[in-house]
Amino acid sequence: MNNAAHFPLLSLILFTPLAGAILLLFVNKRSENAIRWIANIFAAAGFLASLPLWFWYDTKSPAWQFVEKLPWIPSIGAQYFLGVDGFSVLLILLTTMMGVIAVLSSWTAITTRVKEYYVFLLVLQTGMIGAFVSLDFLLFFLFWEVMLVPMYFLIGIWGSDRRLYSAIKFFLYTLAGSVVMLLGILAIYFSYHTMTGVWTFDVTEFQRFNLDRNLQWWVFLAFFLGFAIKVPMFPFHTWLPDAHTDAPTAGSVILAAVLLKMGTYGFIRFSLPILPDASREFVPMIAVLSIIGIVYGALVAMAQRDWKRLVAYSSVSHMALVMLGMFALNPAGLKGSIIQQLNHGISTGALFLIVGIVYERRHTRMISEYTGLSSVMPVYAAVFMFMMLSSIGLPGLNGFVGEFLILQGVFVVSKAWAAVAATGIVLGAAYMLWLYQRTMFGTVENPKNEKLPDLNLREVATFVPLMIMALWIGLYPKPFLDFLDTSVGAVVARVSPQYSGQAVTKQADCPENVAVNKFVLAGCETPAAAPAAPPPPGNVQPAPGSTPPPATPLKTTGGQ
Amino acid sequence: MDNLQAIMPMLIVTLAAAATMLAESFRLKDERMPLGGLGLIGLVGAAAASILLWNRNTTSFGVVQSDNFALFINFVLVAVGILTILLSSQVIDREELPAGEYYSLVLFSIAGMMLMAAATDLLLIFLALEVMSLAVYVLTGIRRTDAAGTEAAFKYFLLGAFSSAFFLYGVAFTYAIVHSTRLEAVALAVAGRSDVSGPLTWLAVGLLLVGFAFKVSAVPFHMWTPDAYEGAPTVVTGFMSTGVKAAAFAAFVRVFLSSFEPLRGEWVTVLSWIAVATMVVGTVVGVAQSNVKRMLAYSSIAHAGYLLVGIIAGNASGKSAILFYLLAYALTNVGAFGVTALLATRERPRGDLADFAGLWHSRPVMAALMTIFLLSLGGFPPTAGFVAKWYVFGAAVQEQLYGLAIIGVLTSVVSVFYYLRIVVLMYMTDSRAEYEPPRLTATGLATLGVAAATVFYLGVLPARVIELATRSIDTIF
Amino acid sequence: MTPITPAHYLVLSAALFSIGLIGVLVRRNLIVIFMSIELMLNAVNINLVAFSQQWQHVVGQVFALFVVAVAAAEAAIGLGIILAFYRNKETVNVDEITLMRW
Repeated sequence: MNNAAHFPLLSLILFTPLAGAILLLFVNKRSENAIRWIANIFAAAGFLASLPLWFWYDTKSPAWQFVEKLPWIPSIGAQYFLGVDGFSVLLILLTTMMGVIAVLSSWTAITTRVKEYYVFLLVLQTGMIGAFVSLDFLLFFLFWEVMLVPMYFLIGIWGSDRRLYSAIKFFLYTLAGSVVMLLGILAIYFSYHTMTGVWTFDVTEFQRFNLDRNLQWWVFLAFFLGFAIKVPMFPFHTWLPDAHTDAPTAGSVILAAVLLKMGTYGFIRFSLPILPDASREFVPMIAVLSIIGIVYGALVAMAQRDWKRLVAYSSVSHMALVMLGMFALNPAGLKGSIIQQLNHGISTGALFLIVGIVYERRHTRMISEYTGLSSVMPVYAAVFMFMMLSSIGLPGLNGFVGEFLILQGVFVVSKAWAAVAATGIVLGAAYMLWLYQRTMFGTVENPKNEKLPDLNLREVATFVPLMIMALWIGLYPKPFLDFLDTSVGAVVARVSPQYSGQAVTKQADCPENVAVNKFVLAGCETPAAAPAAPPPPGNVQPAPGSTPPPATPLKTTGGQ
Repeated sequence: MDNLQAIMPMLIVTLAAAATMLAESFRLKDERMPLGGLGLIGLVGAAAASILLWNRNTTSFGVVQSDNFALFINFVLVAVGILTILLSSQVIDREELPAGEYYSLVLFSIAGMMLMAAATDLLLIFLALEVMSLAVYVLTGIRRTDAAGTEAAFKYFLLGAFSSAFFLYGVAFTYAIVHSTRLEAVALAVAGRSDVSGPLTWLAVGLLLVGFAFKVSAVPFHMWTPDAYEGAPTVVTGFMSTGVKAAAFAAFVRVFLSSFEPLRGEWVTVLSWIAVATMVVGTVVGVAQSNVKRMLAYSSIAHAGYLLVGIIAGNASGKSAILFYLLAYALTNVGAFGVTALLATRERPRGDLADFAGLWHSRPVMAALMTIFLLSLGGFPPTAGFVAKWYVFGAAVQEQLYGLAIIGVLTSVVSVFYYLRIVVLMYMTDSRAEYEPPRLTATGLATLGVAAATVFYLGVLPARVIELATRSIDTIF
Repeated sequence: MTPITPAHYLVLSAALFSIGLIGVLVRRNLIVIFMSIELMLNAVNINLVAFSQQWQHVVGQVFALFVVAVAAAEAAIGLGIILAFYRNKETVNVDEITLMRW
């Protein structure tokens, strides 16, 4: 797109961390500071490389952008196929930003096996970015699994107390889900071949393809298992508190901020557009599970005595809200869901950093160990206050925007669901405020806390970007919402066409866009206008009575 | 001379084996001879011959057919052989094994394996099977003074001979039905006659199935596997777990997917249950093991189950998946056993799980290599094991064998649990093994490094090899 | 007197094979087990020769010769292994093979 014409930007973003990891392998493991500098530089370089996405991405165009397409395993139709839409751009930016923060926050926290630590962290980074940019299902799965191994090592080697148990639990849960998902991928792959005679893993093709309803149902279940474990949805959440609690701080941050988004990303990118009929059928089940998750997560969080576990359960609750918004299957719900994913990444990531800071100083996470910290660590208390308010959705901060949109979307579908979800949000405020009160206010009772140093410059530096983002999304979310117009529009057009007229918020802009781009914005045009779109590949036969597939033509910008 | 073309690879390996044996007998006492080098030359020669024969589909004496299928297996066997020989030198010195006999037995068995993959006559398959097996029995017990080794050899021999008898009985019945032992005659007779489906046919197919199931260590004919694998010298275990499996599966595919394909309805159900049992037993029992070699033995049983899924799918992708799987598995497993072998010392030859404790601290490179091999065995991207499993289960899904595919993926998740146990021991425990593992020699490092690199290569860019595998099955079926 | 038909040979060889099979499964002496396996191989030979005669077809007899040769090779290897085993353990009773779980 634009001046990125033939420059493989996505590959650059994707492989910068990996290059750093490979370089680190050749550094002497005793020169720990050199290792830290290299890791930080490569993480920062990865972030800088991803910034052009923000500026060069054309939010008006419904096409996949920055596309790179090369043959990978031609005999089975797998391609090295990268491309982004607005949704993945935001998640990639979140990933690279959190990557910098995670690497930076580990400077003093990790003192043993430093080299291996940063290697794993950087490989993990590549895996996560890879999952967000892949438009080839097999490639996506490859990166999806690649994430697992470094995270396993991060928890298992640098974790606390029960790290072995947590690491294996995390690994086996996720693996079990993902292999079942693989079977689902294969089922689509073969079904597509039977219908069209083409072997491909091209997600953009699958999104235009109408799968047999019965098969959709099964594939949805398979995908559901894979993604729901990752989200994690109740009742598949039990790995999360353990993994979060025992992971090193940076691991928790990455886990909360990015890894959990893999599940929701999977639902929006794959389940909804590829399996629209099944998605509609499963709305009640997912809504019920989400509502249980919201309330259950909040209640259990309230009962925690371990600070990190509390944040972990708050994650369960927040992610359930994200799922509920998503399965409202309307533009507001979906947008809110995506914005809330970013918010969760920012605020929960920050909360884990906050726990990590006192844990690094005191080596305990018990809430009862800490009282009156605001008097010894005022800056810390202020940062905590800010991020906590962001997490509970105070108007003016990011959480509010996402929760508002989600509730708006859910309300349209069912007032009862919205009511329960709102209760969950209130509970969320309760446990967070209570936590804040217990740890920050009062007098310092534990003598060990009297001399705790406040945040140093490096630690402040890890929080500043998060606070800026929280304010930005809270006060002026429009740029972010603009990014989502076309991608949410495409999903909605697929899964609930009755809404597609509303998908683009600024109706007035549409005609010019169409004129300029010669593409039909899925959200702008009524289905009657669809013939203006390039016809879908002739070999895909839409089922009678179904809506015409939304036109998402590929805008090839990479090295095709 | 034309007639000999198809057997060139086996001929070269056999000559190398004979040369090694002769060289050994001319060796003066305490003279050091690069006997392994002779073997390497032979194997490289066999590979070269296989490359020259590629796509030519030559036949010798009407019973040996060097089609691409057999040649692909030849490449797998050459890879296994070269890795084994390179890893062996250190072990031979350490254990004071008779080098000449060792290398010539390895080469003879490889010749047998190659013949087994290329044979198109049941009689010849039997002969090749015996050539291979007899050499491997002896290799298993080559540490003559080691009680575990001889016991393993004995069990392996007894059950191997037992299974040969079943196989032969099956061949005899096949002969009774079709008046010939040629595979193409069997295929013709079975396809052309409607009356073949009777008790005699069932007996023939069933007994052949039992014979093959023994050789590929499928449940319930797997009992010899853990013992033989544990008792044999570790390098030999790596060799026989991959080479024997590759050859046996090659013959299995040839007999069942070409000759007995028309009778598919008769055997596919039984084989499906065998595959399920193999996958489940291999993983579940593997979890309980405390010895690395035993654990890898159960893992190899489980992998036999996954390969059987490929046979049951029986379609084009299933067949090429088997070839790719055999290659991926061979490299990975030889690597994993190789690390285990090079870690052992004279005093601790058995490969207890505890020997791996804290390996990362003492021998980080070995720990990293072992991790790569274990991840590949567990089927993790981006390693060869992932592509292989993906390919096999893909073939099963294509044939709508969802049940088999689901059991396959679930058991591979469970199997990851026991592969991870080694990883946990190496990286995440504070305890250390109470002995200093030997240093990795340059040869060992290079060999294992190449194996690991290939495992990654096959995992990231499998296109070429998949292409080869796909073209390898064109010629025979 | 009824003529001897292939069915008779089949029954004979099946009987021999079964005797060998049972021998392998129930006997405890290594040598006897080994002999039982030889019995199974010879059962196969009877089968082969009988059908060779029946179809007037030489392959079966050739096959039988090969089986005999292979059985001899197998015996050589097998006895060698049994001997090595005996030197280590001083027993030929399978119940005493307990070093590894069976």
